[in-house]
Amino acid sequence: MTSEPLNTIPPGEPVVFTQPLYLSPGEDLVGYISDLAGRFILFMITCASVLAVLLIFGFVIREAVPFITKHGVIDFLTSTSWFPQAEGAKAEFGGLALITGTLYVTIAALFISVPLGLLAAVFLSDIAPFKVRQICKPIIEILAAIPSVAYGFFAVMVLAPWMQKHLGFTTGTNALNASIILSIMALPTIISVAEDSLSAVGRDIREASYSLGATRAETTIKIVIPAAHSGIIAGVVLGMMRAIGETMVVWMASGNASQIPHPWWDLSQSIRTMTATIAGELGETPRDSDHYHALFAVGLLLLVFTFVLNMVSEFFLARFKRRREVTR
Amino acid sequence: MSMMLRKITDKSFTGLAGFSVVLIIMALAVVLGPMIWIGATAVVFKGTVEFRELQYDLHQRGDRGRLKSETSEVEKVRKKIYAQIDQFKRGIDTESLVAESRKKYREYKIFLKSQNLPDEQCDKLEDNAKEIRNTLADVYDSTDKDTIIKTLDELFAAYPAKQFEHTPVAEMLAAAHDYQTVARTIDLSNREKYAESLAEVQERLTKLLGPRPGEDKPALIMEQYGATRWDVAQKQLKMILWIEDWEETEPGKPMTKKLTPRSNQFAGTTLESFFKNLETDLPNLLKPQREFYWQYFIDDSTEGYYYGGVGPEIIGTLLFTVMGMLFAVPIGIISASYLVEYAGDNIIVRTIRICVNTLAGVPSIVFGLFGLVFFVKVLMPALGYESKPCILTGSMTLAILILPVIIRASEEAIRSVPLTYKEASLALGAGKFRTLVKVTLPAALPGILTGIILSLSRAAGETAPLLFAGAIAVGPIPESILEPSRVLSYGSYDIAVGDRYASMVPHKQFGMVVTLIMLVLCLNIVAFVIRSRVSRNLRGQ
Amino acid sequence: MISLSIPSLHNALDEKSIGNMDVDENVAIEQFSVENENAIVRARNFSLFYGHTAGVKDITLDIYSRAVTAIIGPSGCGKSTFLRSINRINDLIPNTHAEGTLEVSGHDVYDKRINLVNLRQQVGMVFQKHNPFAKSIYDNIAYGPRLTGMRKKSELNDLVEECLRGAALWDEVKEDLNRSALALSGGQQQRLCIARALATRPKILLMDEPCSALDPLATARIEGLIEQLKSKYTIIIVTHNMQQAARVSEYTAFFCLGELIEYNRTKKIFTSPQKKQTDDYISGRFG
Repeated sequence: MTSEPLNTIPPGEPVVFTQPLYLSPGEDLVGYISDLAGRFILFMITCASVLAVLLIFGFVIREAVPFITKHGVIDFLTSTSWFPQAEGAKAEFGGLALITGTLYVTIAALFISVPLGLLAAVFLSDIAPFKVRQICKPIIEILAAIPSVAYGFFAVMVLAPWMQKHLGFTTGTNALNASIILSIMALPTIISVAEDSLSAVGRDIREASYSLGATRAETTIKIVIPAAHSGIIAGVVLGMMRAIGETMVVWMASGNASQIPHPWWDLSQSIRTMTATIAGELGETPRDSDHYHALFAVGLLLLVFTFVLNMVSEFFLARFKRRREVTR
Repeated sequence: MSMMLRKITDKSFTGLAGFSVVLIIMALAVVLGPMIWIGATAVVFKGTVEFRELQYDLHQRGDRGRLKSETSEVEKVRKKIYAQIDQFKRGIDTESLVAESRKKYREYKIFLKSQNLPDEQCDKLEDNAKEIRNTLADVYDSTDKDTIIKTLDELFAAYPAKQFEHTPVAEMLAAAHDYQTVARTIDLSNREKYAESLAEVQERLTKLLGPRPGEDKPALIMEQYGATRWDVAQKQLKMILWIEDWEETEPGKPMTKKLTPRSNQFAGTTLESFFKNLETDLPNLLKPQREFYWQYFIDDSTEGYYYGGVGPEIIGTLLFTVMGMLFAVPIGIISASYLVEYAGDNIIVRTIRICVNTLAGVPSIVFGLFGLVFFVKVLMPALGYESKPCILTGSMTLAILILPVIIRASEEAIRSVPLTYKEASLALGAGKFRTLVKVTLPAALPGILTGIILSLSRAAGETAPLLFAGAIAVGPIPESILEPSRVLSYGSYDIAVGDRYASMVPHKQFGMVVTLIMLVLCLNIVAFVIRSRVSRNLRGQ
Repeated sequence: MISLSIPSLHNALDEKSIGNMDVDENVAIEQFSVENENAIVRARNFSLFYGHTAGVKDITLDIYSRAVTAIIGPSGCGKSTFLRSINRINDLIPNTHAEGTLEVSGHDVYDKRINLVNLRQQVGMVFQKHNPFAKSIYDNIAYGPRLTGMRKKSELNDLVEECLRGAALWDEVKEDLNRSALALSGGQQQRLCIARALATRPKILLMDEPCSALDPLATARIEGLIEQLKSKYTIIIVTHNMQQAARVSEYTAFFCLGELIEYNRTKKIFTSPQKKQTDDYISGRFG
């Protein structure tokens, strides 16, 4: 082994770095401060969302508090008589019928949209060939894109007369009508979240099941869906939030009768939801009247509902993401 | 489980899943199909001559000469229809007949004076006329058919119309003649009933053909023209030809509609044939012709949405959404940039994320409440403006609504910019901020743009947040952003449930909502195209 | 001028691996401490950690100016990590920290006072995947100079032409410099990236597997280009293609599992490697 020197290239002109590689103390300070300031400004702008949430909660609570202190919560949550326009002390603000109305249409809508949406998600993730999926997905996205007022329009102008004529209901605008439309509206949310979570279940698990001789149905029902369940639940909760928060459809299609259907399973009767109550009554209510504050109390209740559901969906989505990271 | 059963289960599961997708697509077709089908007739339809007249009068659209010749042709046919009615009316409306004969008599007196006849002759003629007038007055009051006919015959014999040619008295006699003809055919004791029916026919005829020429123009535009569309014309015709009645077939059941021909009311009279004539002559009366009314998208509508288009609604919708975007897009993109590029993973950032998600989940009606209490009641007075809902408050409400959508979309777009891009820029000596502005954001732009367009479509379709924060159903076109405006979404609601005239013009109801749907779908298609382009670019094609 | 000889370097490395750290370091520093004006990048016991795992550890290495140095090794050996430490582009990856020193022209790049902008402008980099910005050809090249405040149209024009000529791309694109850079072929895009790196007038050019995404023909052109450039620039090229290293470089460093195994003249490495590992790798027994 010869010990030949490694560097034998003639030095030529030395390489000179024309710009200083070290910062001067002044530059260092300016850079530090400007970086900090920039960061701070961006941070403040980003906080606009936080501010918006705080303002929404703050103002809705502020307007709801006069009602709560005057009439109390118990009556509001347990009485079904909602006669806000009556004179003076005769006015009654029992919101139970409104709450049950919201629950009626939401749950009925989920009864339709969850099985349908889940099956569709399974079809899109496991069964459909690539081409079919490419066609189906935009179509389902269109369902999500149609404005809610258009759905409401359809409910009033097309579905309601049809129901009245062919199903023999006394009124076409009823809980069933609203539920059907809401289920169509909740479908895209449920499908897209459920399909995401089903696709995220790795192919290896499926192949393991197939290699043990399971059919596609068995694999899907026994392996894939359980593995994706948190994502699916999150999707259902998100769909439910969409149904609870929806205003125009229920306002136009539910008939707006403040009552609990009797018998309880009769969906052909008119009901009224919280959102529709606000939409329908706030416009004609004098500002700062009892009625006005009562409507904000309804809004606050709605806000709390969706906030809790949001947290639930966040929880399941986070769990779903965690699991996916573990399996990868 | 036997093999067979498992196979069947598997097959039916596959079938069921496929069927569910088919069902969903069918639901989409059922929802969109009828609405688009009917809505399209707002633009493409058979327009009548009334439509072309309206277009010319209001907007100077169309060929004047052609319109004139068309109207004169139509007038000719209409004259016959009106004559038939007038003739019948003479037999019914005795009060106006009496008044008319009095008027004619006075006119005749003036006429005589102007003739400079000798006094005697003048007096004689005047007496004759008075005689005729009095006889006619009696006759008009009478309900006895035979007397009327007999008296009139005698009167006509005594005073041949020739004698009074070209004078008001001749007209008086002609009216009497008509009266005699009608009196022969109708039951005079039912005069009032006839008069009532006739008045209804006339009213409906006005809706079909517009006010008669020579009559005073009504104040409302919707009453100045007849049926402008062939489908509406046929609907009006049906209402003339048939009488609608609701009757209870069984107690407790909903009432059923029953149609009876209106001509039954006029059985045996001279007017009986009128209905048949009207039906056969309708094309000549209105001259329907295929129209492509693209101006539907720019025209203002008349009272009660009766005629015209949805121009102000479209402009209002665009104003609200674009202004909302102006507020939300900068904040959204900056927030997303911060969250992706600068923020680490600490408690503050997690709080921000939770807030964004919460904001995304707030029901739209609560945004409406918030818009009312904060923007309208607090912010506007604080800025020194009147505390009333307007475009500004509405667009700010929409901005908050779509902020989380934009943040999420932008975040995803920025995150998907390949790291090598940023590295290349940094390796050239660009700072973090400059890399963000010059390289990352431009590369993420298609994705951000997709998000913006999608949230634009979301904002355009929202109704509930605008209910109390700036949208109105009827009103003038706003002159500034401090006034409320009409929008497609709230208009669709109002026209469907709020306006009673609108139910007469379903094409306008469906046209409005289809315009909204089309606007939203077009935005979605644009977003879809951009997105597929981007994914093609990323694949390097 | 005292030059570093391979045996001594090997001794230093060997003994270090036994664990006799202090002594070896002293030896090494003693040997390296004499200013070698041709050593432009100088690593001394340099380690870089991703979180707690080391990307490279204890690298002691001199890289000489106006020559091409190839870094070879199996994937995951830390050769890219080392390269990307030189202009600190590794900073983009969260939770990295460095130990030891890594000097460029006598300035420790992991010093707090380092001016990253100036460093990166003078240490150009070409990446594995050609990554032109979605701008025109002209704007791609002008991006760097514009950052330093060059605004004059005529100067920019000259510079763009010079860089494109330098990257042997001028004749192919001179017709339409406003074309989108993404419309070029892969090889052209990579040469554009080289031109873009040249535009900030770097002293050192880092190339991170510049040909791995290219076909043989484009690769040959890039290699020809490297041949042309080496008279003016110090080039450090990471490659997993040993033939390429043999073709273009004067010096070759062999990395394995985050450590520098052998560093020598390319000819030596490929004809008579000193370490069994190197021999195994070169002859294809592993890697």
